[in-house]
Amino acid sequence: MGYQADMRDITFQLFEWLPTGQLLKNDLFSQWERGDVEMVLAEALKLAQEQLDPANRDGDVVGARFADGRVSLPPSFHPVYQKIREGGWIGCISNPEFGGMGLPHSVGTSINEMFFGANMALSLSALLTRGASYLVEKFGTDEMRALFCERMYTGEWAGTMCLTEPQAGSDVGASKTRAVKQPNGRYLIQGEKIFITSGDQDLTPNIIHAVLARTPGAPEGTSGLSLFIVPKVRVNPDGSLGEPNDVACSRIEEKLGIHGSPTCSLVFGGNDRCEGFLLGEEHAGMKLMFHMMNPARIEVGLQGAALAGAAHQAALDYARVRLQGRHWTRMKEHGAPQVAIIEHPDVRRMLFTSGAYVQAMRALLLQTSYFIDMTHVTEGEEQERYQSYVEVLTPICKAWASDWGFRVTEWCLQVYGGYGYTADYPAEQYLRDAKIASIYEGTNGIQALDLVARKLPAKGGKAIRDLLGMAEKTFKTLRNDSQLMEPAWMLGAALKQIEDISKGLAKRPDAPIVVLLNSAPFLDMIGDVLGAHFLLDQAVIARTRLGEMLAAAGIASDDKKAVRAFLLDKPDAAFYHNKIQTAIHFAYRVLPLVTARAVAIRAGEVSPVEAIL
Amino acid sequence: MKSCVLMAYVPDTASVIKVAAAGNRIEEADIKWIVSPYDEYALEEAIRLKEAKGAPVTVLTYGPERAQQGLRECLARGADAAVHVKGGEGTFGDALAIAKVLAAAVRKSGPFDIIFAGIQGVGSDNALVGAMVAELLDVPHVTGVVKLEIGDGAITAHREIEGGTEVVTAPLPCVVTAQKGLNEPRYPSLKGIMAAKKVAIQAFVPADLGVDEGALAGAGATCRWKALALPPAKSGGVILKGEEDPAAAARELARLLREQAKAI
Ligand SMILES: Cc1cc2nc3c(=O)[nH]c(=O)nc-3n(C[C@H](O)[C@H](O)[C@H](O)COP(=O)(O)OP(=O)(O)OC[C@H]3O[C@@H](n4cnc5c(N)ncnc54)[C@H](O)[C@@H]3O)c2cc1C
Ligand SMILES: Cc1cc2nc3c(=O)[nH]c(=O)nc-3n(C[C@H](O)[C@H](O)[C@H](O)COP(=O)(O)OP(=O)(O)OC[C@H]3O[C@@H](n4cnc5c(N)ncnc54)[C@H](O)[C@@H]3O)c2cc1C
Repeated sequence: MGYQADMRDITFQLFEWLPTGQLLKNDLFSQWERGDVEMVLAEALKLAQEQLDPANRDGDVVGARFADGRVSLPPSFHPVYQKIREGGWIGCISNPEFGGMGLPHSVGTSINEMFFGANMALSLSALLTRGASYLVEKFGTDEMRALFCERMYTGEWAGTMCLTEPQAGSDVGASKTRAVKQPNGRYLIQGEKIFITSGDQDLTPNIIHAVLARTPGAPEGTSGLSLFIVPKVRVNPDGSLGEPNDVACSRIEEKLGIHGSPTCSLVFGGNDRCEGFLLGEEHAGMKLMFHMMNPARIEVGLQGAALAGAAHQAALDYARVRLQGRHWTRMKEHGAPQVAIIEHPDVRRMLFTSGAYVQAMRALLLQTSYFIDMTHVTEGEEQERYQSYVEVLTPICKAWASDWGFRVTEWCLQVYGGYGYTADYPAEQYLRDAKIASIYEGTNGIQALDLVARKLPAKGGKAIRDLLGMAEKTFKTLRNDSQLMEPAWMLGAALKQIEDISKGLAKRPDAPIVVLLNSAPFLDMIGDVLGAHFLLDQAVIARTRLGEMLAAAGIASDDKKAVRAFLLDKPDAAFYHNKIQTAIHFAYRVLPLVTARAVAIRAGEVSPVEAIL
Repeated sequence: MKSCVLMAYVPDTASVIKVAAAGNRIEEADIKWIVSPYDEYALEEAIRLKEAKGAPVTVLTYGPERAQQGLRECLARGADAAVHVKGGEGTFGDALAIAKVLAAAVRKSGPFDIIFAGIQGVGSDNALVGAMVAELLDVPHVTGVVKLEIGDGAITAHREIEGGTEVVTAPLPCVVTAQKGLNEPRYPSLKGIMAAKKVAIQAFVPADLGVDEGALAGAGATCRWKALALPPAKSGGVILKGEEDPAAAARELARLLREQAKAI
């Protein structure tokens, strides 16, 4: 069947749930109308299905190759990359002043869901190009902007992010790469970076590396790092390519997934001739780099959600055609025909739980993207408020969506039985490709520490209080609702757990170790609560729409038989109905986990630390 | 030089088709609409001509309100102007009536040096409209073109025919209908999508073109759709039992593949 996206849910979340239509009315986005955005999404899906997806298997099987100091990508990647780049998709959300297309982030998130879902390995390089160019746009000189930004946003040249070194993984501050200022104001860069995504490739004639390095005499740790732009090939003042800039690729990694994405070891200045340009001030590198890393973290969360979405759609297709076993109502009849496995309750459960997480992840990512858009169209206090939401939500997007995204790919593989484990179906590749999202861009463990140690306490905890306050409102709206009362109360109870822990924890004498030990479960608790809140909020809208449809068709909502027939006949009605079921299912199956985790945290269980390991 | 593309906005072949209550139409409510795939080849060829020789491209459609979206898609890919003749409810499926309206619209917005159409419109697949428009305009036509060269005042076109390729020349102006293989249609760029809405679509009703749509749909109709039926559901498939005599089963399989499935 090939890659499928749940376009109905994407447009529901963008236009029926979020006020994207309203957002487009802002001057900043005035060049895009709703009809354009619908066309953009339809074309993105076409590109995903007709171009990116067919090359995805090749990416996995052929993979990136390394020979004679050069990396080559699968031949099928080349024409696909050109189409993506010519269409303006790489810089789809970037600044139009520098060759970007100026679409809202929320729309970009939907585009990238489809691109990552169809071909994560290839789409990953666009993420880095966008981010590195943004650093130049924001912190470069006018001259650098003129030389690099448009060429990067249009994908003529690519970009990378170079932090990791053998001794500096999570501990970025341990970086040793050196940068020495020259009389001409440029810096000579020397050192080795490892695990650099797209550090070398043969899609573009130049690659612009964003490199963290230490100047002589700089302080230890991250506060001594500076940020440099280091082209693979030197660029003449007129923008033409000059001589090579002494950046060499020494190897690429063999790895579990994303075989089409080269993970490179790069040697800068092996011959002492590697030139870099400082961005911003010396020693401000880490702070500046976060302007690339924060959006990238959200996009890495999106990778988890996107592959989960792709895996879910594929599993649904498979479950509809694979015949096995008898229908559960005719189990004892020997002669009963085999049924499609989607009829088996256990298979339905796996599929439906997967779908619920996919929708919840999509909601989290779109809501966060919408807040990013709002920071661009507001000022002063309002803007600060939106910015504070984005900051708290960033590690949750990254870790919650990549962890549960990976798990969804596992459940979806399970749907296939033995066939899912074979390379005949895409399930196993989705699973392998998805795993990396919980590791790079700061492991999920590091995200959880960032959340509890920095993001939650920031500004007296106002941002998270606001966000959980929105969930609280959903609870209060629905607590007397005849259909959604119980899910609402479960949400209320889960919120109470989070509140109790937040208040109680600080007062404990063993607070530091309890916090460190539980940062990841605590991040999950917040993710689960937000997910349930988003889905319930969406269910209310869906229920209204469904009611309108039934009324227009003259069907009484308590006429069960007629409603059922209507749902079977009208895909849109079925969509709204399923939306409500999804919210109920997620509340029952996920929110109790919040309470369960709270038990261990409140008890102060610290066995992993007590144990002799 | 100027070119025109006749574009039909048709049900997506991937849509689930249901027959409407009236019995002679499809249920249109949940259908996704697309530019007919053959018209995508036609449009691509016109845009390439524009890139090579600066010939501006006008896209023309005859259909209901929704067809405007199809025009926008064509503009996003690089067409310069769009003409929408609104109507078509009564003349639905009547290729001659449609061709009469289109020919009148071509006269009104022309003159054009070359008119591109699809070899057939996905949905009803008559392969009639292009040739009829040419006749009504009294210009030559070449159908099913897979390769096209445009020279000075004349074209050389390669047509797919049974078992081979026919190469024909025709003077301009003429009508060319596009067959799969003519080119690889481009995707609209984001820039193109953004720019498309800035082009004003010229709208007519058939009366503006001097065409009496009511007469074409009523007494003048040349074709009426009586009834539509879905193809019978696929049967379960045939299982050849090969345990006893594998050679016979293999022979039977080869026969079925050749005679029934026509796969070999
Ligand atoms: C395919 C791939 C692509 C990559 N692309 C890039 C890239 O483009 N650019 C780039 O710079 N890097 C890249 N990386 C590197 C990646 O960001 C690092 O692997 C990651 O940050 C973790 O560092 P590490 O591997 O050294 O693990 P370590 O830091 O050794 O971590 C090992 C484990 O210890 C945990 N841990 C470490 N420190 C702490 C702590 N203080 N508290 C609690 N737990 C801790 C981690 O969570 C992890 O579980 C890539 C990696 C891979 C595999
Ligand atoms: C259910 C259904 C709904 C449809 N709704 C629409 C609609 O909303 N708008 C619409 O434009 N068409 C619509 N069509 C297509 C239109 O009805 C057919 O194109 C028409 O019936 C002509 O028959 P054909 O497709 O067999 O034409 P063919 O003779 O096979 O068509 C050959 C070529 O003629 C040109 N052409 C045909 N019809 C038109 C037209 N109306 N305008 C411009 N060029 C044309 C195209 O270049 C086409 O590729 C619909 C078709 C179906 C089955």
